[in-house]
Amino acid sequence: MGTKNRKITRRTVLAGAAATGASFAIHRRARAVEPVKIGFTMPKTGYLGVACPVAYQAYELWRDQVNAAGGLKIAGSEPRPIEFISYDDQSEPSKTVQIYQKMITQDKVDLLLSPYGTPFHLALGPVAERHKFPIVGSTSNSTLLRDLGVKYMWAGQQAPDVYAPEMVKFMQSVGIDSASMLTLQLPASLEFKKFLTPELEKAGIRLDANDEYPNSITDMTAMVGSVKAAGSKAVLGLSYPLDSALYVKTAREMKIDVPMQLLFIGPALPFFSQQYTGADLEGLMTIGEWSPSQTAWPKAKPFYDAYMAKWNEKPDYLDSVISYASCEILEQAVAKVGLDHEKLREVISTDTFDTIKGPIKFDGNDNVATKPGLLQVQNGELEIVWPKEIATATFKPKQGWS
Amino acid sequence: MKAPSWFAGPIGGALVVALLAAFVVPGMAGDYGIEFATTLVLWIALVQSWVILSGYTGYVSLGHAAFVGAGAYVFILTWGAVPFWFGLVAAGFTSGLLALIVGGPCLRVRGPYFVILTLGVAEFVKYAVINIEASLGKFGRLMIGTPEPVDIYRMAVGLAAIAFVMALVARYSRFGVGLRAIRENEVAAEMTGIRVRWLKVGAFGLSALVPGVVGALMICRTGYFEPLQMFSPQLSLTIITMCVAGGSDNPWGPLIGALFLNILSELLWDSAPELYTVILGVVLVFVVLRMPEGIYGTAVKRLARRSRKAVPGETTP
Repeated sequence: MGTKNRKITRRTVLAGAAATGASFAIHRRARAVEPVKIGFTMPKTGYLGVACPVAYQAYELWRDQVNAAGGLKIAGSEPRPIEFISYDDQSEPSKTVQIYQKMITQDKVDLLLSPYGTPFHLALGPVAERHKFPIVGSTSNSTLLRDLGVKYMWAGQQAPDVYAPEMVKFMQSVGIDSASMLTLQLPASLEFKKFLTPELEKAGIRLDANDEYPNSITDMTAMVGSVKAAGSKAVLGLSYPLDSALYVKTAREMKIDVPMQLLFIGPALPFFSQQYTGADLEGLMTIGEWSPSQTAWPKAKPFYDAYMAKWNEKPDYLDSVISYASCEILEQAVAKVGLDHEKLREVISTDTFDTIKGPIKFDGNDNVATKPGLLQVQNGELEIVWPKEIATATFKPKQGWS
Repeated sequence: MKAPSWFAGPIGGALVVALLAAFVVPGMAGDYGIEFATTLVLWIALVQSWVILSGYTGYVSLGHAAFVGAGAYVFILTWGAVPFWFGLVAAGFTSGLLALIVGGPCLRVRGPYFVILTLGVAEFVKYAVINIEASLGKFGRLMIGTPEPVDIYRMAVGLAAIAFVMALVARYSRFGVGLRAIRENEVAAEMTGIRVRWLKVGAFGLSALVPGVVGALMICRTGYFEPLQMFSPQLSLTIITMCVAGGSDNPWGPLIGALFLNILSELLWDSAPELYTVILGVVLVFVVLRMPEGIYGTAVKRLARRSRKAVPGETTP
């Protein structure tokens, strides 16, 4: 590439001087109200790239709302605007660790939000402990942090040992006595399977086809074929977004006629409802316990409306919601005790927080205030069908494909 | 072949550089600088170990991911049960043993068959560990209380120095001459009395010791073990990329390749991670087409041509 000799004119010099002056002025103003730096990573590339927008869009909505309301309220000082420092972790947990260490030690962030996905949360547990830096978890689902006694990180979602019995209770309540299970070989799915299998056995639900597959899978024909041959009343797909989509494609082609078809992560994601519509989506189930139409949580509908207005798509009822709720927890904790990490740890560990999914309270690492639930697509909308206390609709068996 | 007269120099130099790196860098670099330096020296250790088999014999292995993963797995299994140093040594020897076991059958084939076979072995070990872990009810393991980053860095520097010296000694010893004879013409090497099979398996085992310890240090850094990540084939491919970029006929080329790609990665990863892979692709195409002997080999050749002086050590693969 060639370079041109540019003439330095008086106009250029004046423009440069004006720009420098303006930047000094902006800098002075910015110094007057130093923003609170909040760091996080998102897997914008890699196998989770398709799913993570639901989380960072929730984060960005929260930041914009707080800034529009005058900034983050901090105990003992004036509100300050929020500035995000975020990076792409490329769907690699080791990258996540490296970047969070960079954000803590080099970027000197004031606060941290959590990354996207269970393995990424788990990889961060030791980092939070080492740096004594509190991180409110969001999109993770594991007993591992609890087992290790991590003190500076909390799980937003319920651990699989709490979730699995609830899922089985639901299955019993709708008369399901047999199931086939397809499990992705990733930690969150495998751990869920570990707790689900004995619960099914205890409840007398027969487990027919029971297969595992790698995350590089591109063809599910054989596995779905075995599900069809088994004739189970439920398909429990412990899957991630891309393989959930692959399951739907394969099940539609093979006309899997099973009343309960649950996919772990997928049906609540916007990309899913863009890819599949009508009868394909109708009746699919996923994990989650939130709906904007649940009036018990006054903040739920306003969040839904604000998210729709900003992003022109629905939030994910599991991941967007818990990501936003994790911001609310941090916001309320900072308003109470400021930015001191040790005080934040104490208040997050002991207080109850008012969020868009109702109250959240931690006991150790676990959120003990929210009961795990199940969602089902009904008339194109996700409805809570379990637990009964917060259900917005009753379960309807899946009726075929388009 | 007799070792060149300057043979002792690089070893002494490596030790001096290692000591300086271990004790001067932590005082100058911040916390993040230490993290970056640790990543860099771990990659240097890996490429030096890879070159012992693949650089000298021409048997291109994609098995390093298996050795790194196996070392990490053994280390986390023994974490808390045995002294730290014992865990590190066990990690290295387990990987070495694994290489000796799989090396026998794998090294019966050569060329692309060997490449594919080592990739297959690495994938096999990965899924074996995934299934073992699943049967144990474990889906990722965490550990806290690992050494401080600066201590891990110093251990990594020590390991990189050991790997460099191993690669250097292997290059100029009778052992290394045998390995390079295999690369030039395996049948002719055998005809001249070189115990080809033993040399190859020995080199494979030797080249797997360091990756095992690297795996252990890697999980010390993160405190998290997850098989898909620790056995990632991308690790093996990155090693090859570094060696191709730097040149793989002696320890200097991989060293330069590791420095080059790590610094390039560091400059680009946060601002343009996608651009990094594009640039990497372009660099590789350029190096393969214009510098088939790698950056180091080409530079040495040009310098030699310019100064008309003898070049220490051959550079032609």
